[in-house]
Amino acid sequence: MSPNGKPDRGSVVMNVEECKGCGLCVEACPSKVLSLSKSLNRYGYRPAVYLGHGCSGCGICFFACPEPGGIQVLRRTA
Amino acid sequence: MKPELTKGNEAIVKAAILAGCRAYYGYPITPASEIAEAAALYFPRVGGVFIQAESETASVNMLYGGAAAGVRCMSGSSGPGMSLMQEGMSYLAGAELPCVIADIMRAGPGLGNIAPEQGDYNQIVKGGGHGNYRTLVLAPASVQEMADFTALAFDLADRYRNPVVVLADGNIGQMMEPVRFADPIDVPAPPAWAVRGTAATRANLVSSIFLEPEKMERHVQKLEAKYRQAEREAVRSESYRTEDAEFVLIGYGIMGRILKAVVDHGRERGHKLGLLRPLTLYPFPGDRIRELAARVKGFLVAELSVGQLRDDVRLALEGRRPVEFFGRTGGVVPTAEEVLAAVEQRFALQEVLVHG
Repeated sequence: MSPNGKPDRGSVVMNVEECKGCGLCVEACPSKVLSLSKSLNRYGYRPAVYLGHGCSGCGICFFACPEPGGIQVLRRTA
Repeated sequence: MKPELTKGNEAIVKAAILAGCRAYYGYPITPASEIAEAAALYFPRVGGVFIQAESETASVNMLYGGAAAGVRCMSGSSGPGMSLMQEGMSYLAGAELPCVIADIMRAGPGLGNIAPEQGDYNQIVKGGGHGNYRTLVLAPASVQEMADFTALAFDLADRYRNPVVVLADGNIGQMMEPVRFADPIDVPAPPAWAVRGTAATRANLVSSIFLEPEKMERHVQKLEAKYRQAEREAVRSESYRTEDAEFVLIGYGIMGRILKAVVDHGRERGHKLGLLRPLTLYPFPGDRIRELAARVKGFLVAELSVGQLRDDVRLALEGRRPVEFFGRTGGVVPTAEEVLAAVEQRFALQEVLVHG
């Protein structure tokens, strides 16, 4: 459930080991459901992570991400 | 009493005897034969009557006689045998005779096969005989419920003076589970309306014939009033994890059991599923379904038939919410995974990759 009470329409899968922690997706996300992790990945970056709920499945983070294969967006089929 | 490992069909017979039933008339048929087998063993031991009739048509008419004499009596059969009994069930309901019949459903139509199915729903719940009547129908989902519902069936039959069917499928009839039987009750005294061949009951008449149209109509109205009363008093259902459910699954008997696992698996995968299991199919828990409809998004009916229960759910919902359907037939029993995949597909709970 998103903060505005609407059910999730999608979800995001982050490739945390490829993420360079640039934060573009965090800025771009209209639902504000992405953040930079407190823990480091194997390169020593703080990767972007999904809060786990509230995704609208819009895909804007996918287009904002400069890393090929960095973000996957899934959408509910309804 | 201590729990006893008992087969579903045998549990019906033991529970019936403990509930004061003293007469069994039936004709064996797989997967209900163990009812006749256990009845042949146990009824004579308690001074009761066991008769293997020459056919189901004969056995249902023996029930008419036993019930008219005021004895708690029962029979058991499966699809093809139940079809033969329908005429007698109409007469039993018309003459207001209480009795209990167990239907251990197998696959059909026709001779079908002996594997479990729920295709007798319409015949039993809607009444396969002629005229304006209903049979009260109980739907057990475990061997314990086979015992409990059989005892309940005798009480309902006496209260409403109407035949009551315990509608189970081959799975429940054939499986063995621990059962805690109720304490035996005293054999009830014959009711005042019974025909006992005594001076006191000489004026009593058990009949379903009303040649004058007005009298016939009054009789039908009396039956109807009785059914309305049963709808208010006797309806039962089990709700499982429906408090916060978004989608509610509806199924009875063995399917209700599978759906319980579907709800648990689905919840592990983040779907808010709940289960409504009708324990009485007539009276149907329509009020409960409408109550749930106010706060859930949709329903899925799962059954071992082709939408017979779904039709009743649709009638209850009157278009309030969408009703999806999952059914297997022929004796095929689906796994919980198979049903869950159908639930995810029908309610679009799966996520598909759109970017990346």
